[in-house]
Amino acid sequence: MKQLIHLGFAFAAIAVIFLILNFALPLCPEPIGSRADLFITGAKLTLVLTFYAGVIGLLLGTLAGVAKLQKNLLLRGVATFYTWLFRGTPLLVQILFIYFALPVVSPSFQFDEQTAAIIALALNVGAYNAEAIRGGLIAVPKGQTEAAVSLGLSPVQTLVWITLPQAFRISIPPLVSNLVALLKDSSLASSIGLLELSLVGNRVSSETFSPVPVLLTVAGIYLVITSVLTAAALPLEKKVRGEK
Amino acid sequence: MSVLVTRDVHKTFGTQPVLNGVSFTADKSEVIAIIGPSGSGKSTFLRTLNGLEKVDRGSIKVLGRDVANATDLSRIRGKVGFVFQGFNLFSHLTILQNVMLAPIRVLKLKRAEAERLALQLLSRVGIAEHAGKYPSQISGGQQQRAAIARTLALQPEIVLFDEPTSALDPEMTAEVLDVLRELAKSGLTMLVVTHEMGFAREVASRIVFFDQGKIVADDQPRAFFENSENPRLKLFLSRILKH
Ligand SMILES: Nc1ncnc2c1ncn2[C@@H]1O[C@H](COP(=O)(O)OP(=O)(O)OP(=O)(O)O)[C@@H](O)[C@H]1O
Ligand SMILES: [Mg+2]
Repeated sequence: MKQLIHLGFAFAAIAVIFLILNFALPLCPEPIGSRADLFITGAKLTLVLTFYAGVIGLLLGTLAGVAKLQKNLLLRGVATFYTWLFRGTPLLVQILFIYFALPVVSPSFQFDEQTAAIIALALNVGAYNAEAIRGGLIAVPKGQTEAAVSLGLSPVQTLVWITLPQAFRISIPPLVSNLVALLKDSSLASSIGLLELSLVGNRVSSETFSPVPVLLTVAGIYLVITSVLTAAALPLEKKVRGEK
Repeated sequence: MSVLVTRDVHKTFGTQPVLNGVSFTADKSEVIAIIGPSGSGKSTFLRTLNGLEKVDRGSIKVLGRDVANATDLSRIRGKVGFVFQGFNLFSHLTILQNVMLAPIRVLKLKRAEAERLALQLLSRVGIAEHAGKYPSQISGGQQQRAAIARTLALQPEIVLFDEPTSALDPEMTAEVLDVLRELAKSGLTMLVVTHEMGFAREVASRIVFFDQGKIVADDQPRAFFENSENPRLKLFLSRILKH
């Protein structure tokens, strides 16, 4: 729960960054200044994709990470197949498949570009998160589970109140790096025509024939966002090391 | 009245036999010290009593319930507390939250009620002023007392202590033993695996000696120390009483 609150903080911090970008970008020299709106729209879409895919991916990763450690063969099998599939194929192929191929398989799987991109990104980051969560769960000392069980907590209660909260803390560093990777990977959504930050950069640079300032601006905006995300996770990582 | 009866309990880890037919009875309000050399199966035996460890053979009845073959152990676990050598406090929760967890989740008490109970228990073990701290912020002795409060919060009829003071220095050991003494007086049934012979002699109503997965001696303290005829027990006592 606290982790989610922190995630909320991270995104609030990014909202603040946007306010700053809103003021700073228009002041930039040409060809950036006059196209500030475009960069901001692109950055917003990048963040929207990252946010939804990040939240869904955390849920998926938690479910799959837990499932991988179950005795139940079906649960374990499904989770293992899922992570194998999404870590073993390129994200680009996953995005294209969900957008172009799924509707052919069944018309009920027809999604707009943004939904398709979010689904693909969420499934992809979820597969990586599953490994992080699984690692965290394994690292929780056995004594914690034994104490919980000895107090009469059921296996589900033990998972929800004891092992998962501790596993999240242990998994924060890999989860944060997965989130940063997700942010950068969201640029692949441009392959189905979504005008996110990198596609904005690509378009503006070819329109204006000035790739250097344009792409530097794009890279700079990515850096600002990833830095804020990483910085927001720092206090959590300290907590993992027991420095309260 | 017997609250705990085991018959011919066997347990093997891989090919290594750890419990070789343990038959044991505890009556209500007894305080039983369990001693024995390292690796003799004391912890394993204690852990079978609340189902943390499954037995291969034999029967275990706790408060009239079959533990050896039980499928749902959570009901019996509420009645049988376990205190670990390494405390095992939940590291992500404060001391107060540690004590409140089971009353809320298992006994379904209201939060306010659970908090009242928890604070009362924390002051009983003398650490109410640390209620808001995390386990890593208090001493080992305080952690063990918190763990005892956490166990007492379920109002157990029996509490199993596995070397509750072995991880503590002498001063902290004394704090924890004071709490155990007070609990013994309150009529709680207690099984205490310990190397504290002074405590065993003074507080226990019975002392049980484990060796190679078996109970080799079982007697009242005075008789236990005076008429120890078993050569293994003699050797063990001579070694341990030297310290
Ligand atoms: N989970 C386990 N897997 C394999 N072997 C185990 C396991 N738990 C205990 N053992 C072995 O069983 C034997 C008895 O262990 P146990 O912990 O019950 O002894 P103990 O009397 O409590 O010793 P100590 O005084 O050192 O705590 C030891 O040889 C130990 O290595
Ligand atoms: Mg032991």
